[in-house]
Amino acid sequence: MAGKEDGNVLDEKKIRIMTRLALSEEKYGKENFNISRYYRSDYIRYSLLKTVLSVTVGYILILGMAALYHAEYLIANAVKLDYKEMGLYVLGIYLALLIVYSGITVVIAAVKYARASRFEKKYGNVLGILRKLYENGVEPKREGLEK
Amino acid sequence: MMLLLEIKEKAKEFYYKNKIYMDPVWKFVMALAVFLTINEQLGYNEKLTSLPIALALSFISAFTGAGAFVFLAGVLTVGQVFSASALMAGIVAIVFLIMYCLILRFTPKFSYTLVLTPILFVLKIPYCVPLLMGVISAPPAILPVSCGIITYYMFLTIQTTANSTFGVSMEDALNIYKIVASGVFSNREMLVNLLVFAVALLVTYIIRRQVFNHAFETGIIAGAIVIIVGSLIGSMVFDTGGILYVVIGTLISALLSVSVWFFRMGLDYTAVERIQFEDDDYYYYVKAVPKLSVTAPEKNVKRINPKSPGKALKEEFEED
Repeated sequence: MAGKEDGNVLDEKKIRIMTRLALSEEKYGKENFNISRYYRSDYIRYSLLKTVLSVTVGYILILGMAALYHAEYLIANAVKLDYKEMGLYVLGIYLALLIVYSGITVVIAAVKYARASRFEKKYGNVLGILRKLYENGVEPKREGLEK
Repeated sequence: MMLLLEIKEKAKEFYYKNKIYMDPVWKFVMALAVFLTINEQLGYNEKLTSLPIALALSFISAFTGAGAFVFLAGVLTVGQVFSASALMAGIVAIVFLIMYCLILRFTPKFSYTLVLTPILFVLKIPYCVPLLMGVISAPPAILPVSCGIITYYMFLTIQTTANSTFGVSMEDALNIYKIVASGVFSNREMLVNLLVFAVALLVTYIIRRQVFNHAFETGIIAGAIVIIVGSLIGSMVFDTGGILYVVIGTLISALLSVSVWFFRMGLDYTAVERIQFEDDDYYYYVKAVPKLSVTAPEKNVKRINPKSPGKALKEEFEED
């Protein structure tokens, strides 16, 4: 199979392996390598942090819009309102939202990390095959060329 | 059926060979349709409504991902609404931000439904969305689809509110806000659609996952029935009306969904790839072409003097 056998400088087997590597890197590499840069716990924590931030921003915006909608009522009853009960209600919903979103985030992040690790392992295996090919093949070829 | 399969194989082969050109062209056409529809529906700003702007935005969308396309559509929308009322543009921007923070950030693959759902509503075939998403995606797609429905009804309210004249005082601003908010969230038709779309998507998804022949087509038909029955019940309970439009729209949507699914089936996005890499000695520019099993016949046999099968058989035996 190897083109080297018939005097061709190009090694088909190597090209095939390098093509496979390049293709998988182009298709899945970017996301997976980004994820596997982290330790598992760090990646999950980082995802969780982003989720908490975006849920907080989203919830504050919803609260702001709701408050604006009921602005007249809130201003008219500013003195009579039970702020403690209202605060607990708002906080309760926020905590419930956080728990649901965080749970989903942890599961998704763990699955993504496992997938990225599998990808990296497979990529590493193919890279190992390529390295072996180089160790056994390139040096003699070079010597041959130099002669 | 055979003819359809052949057309499908030819189309697939054409796509495999020309993916590098087809993808940007297809994305450009889709983006242009979306931007032109936004301009037609909310054309409050003359400069933004001009064709060169739509062409430029579509060109950018053709070479970027779905996220950039949705972002550009959002920016164009807010820009158009801003010319009608700065306050309403603010409301739209905040609603988009909430949708992003709480939903779209977690379902980035389906973010384009936020843009496509309102556009398909304008084209009167919004029912394609739950049927197709039920076939090609999973139940979490209900959330971005719901965002798309809310966006459409928000635009409807903005269109009616923008025509009314309001002052610039704080009280007027508050009034505009209350009209838009209650116009959207107390819209019974929207609530019915939110529920019907979610159930239809779920039913289509559950049925297409079953292991029996024609599960996909059955899923789409079941989803279509859910839409028609659900809308009928909704129109009776909430008196929303327009059931004939729903029936016709659903039938067209179901047909479209079946044809999209038919052409997509087996299309696993493996296409001609061009990649570059290097080793110590060479630079490699590789064109990787996937192996295909094309069933379409290459030859076309045409009989000049057709014989009846019986006669042909008789002649054959006589020759022997």
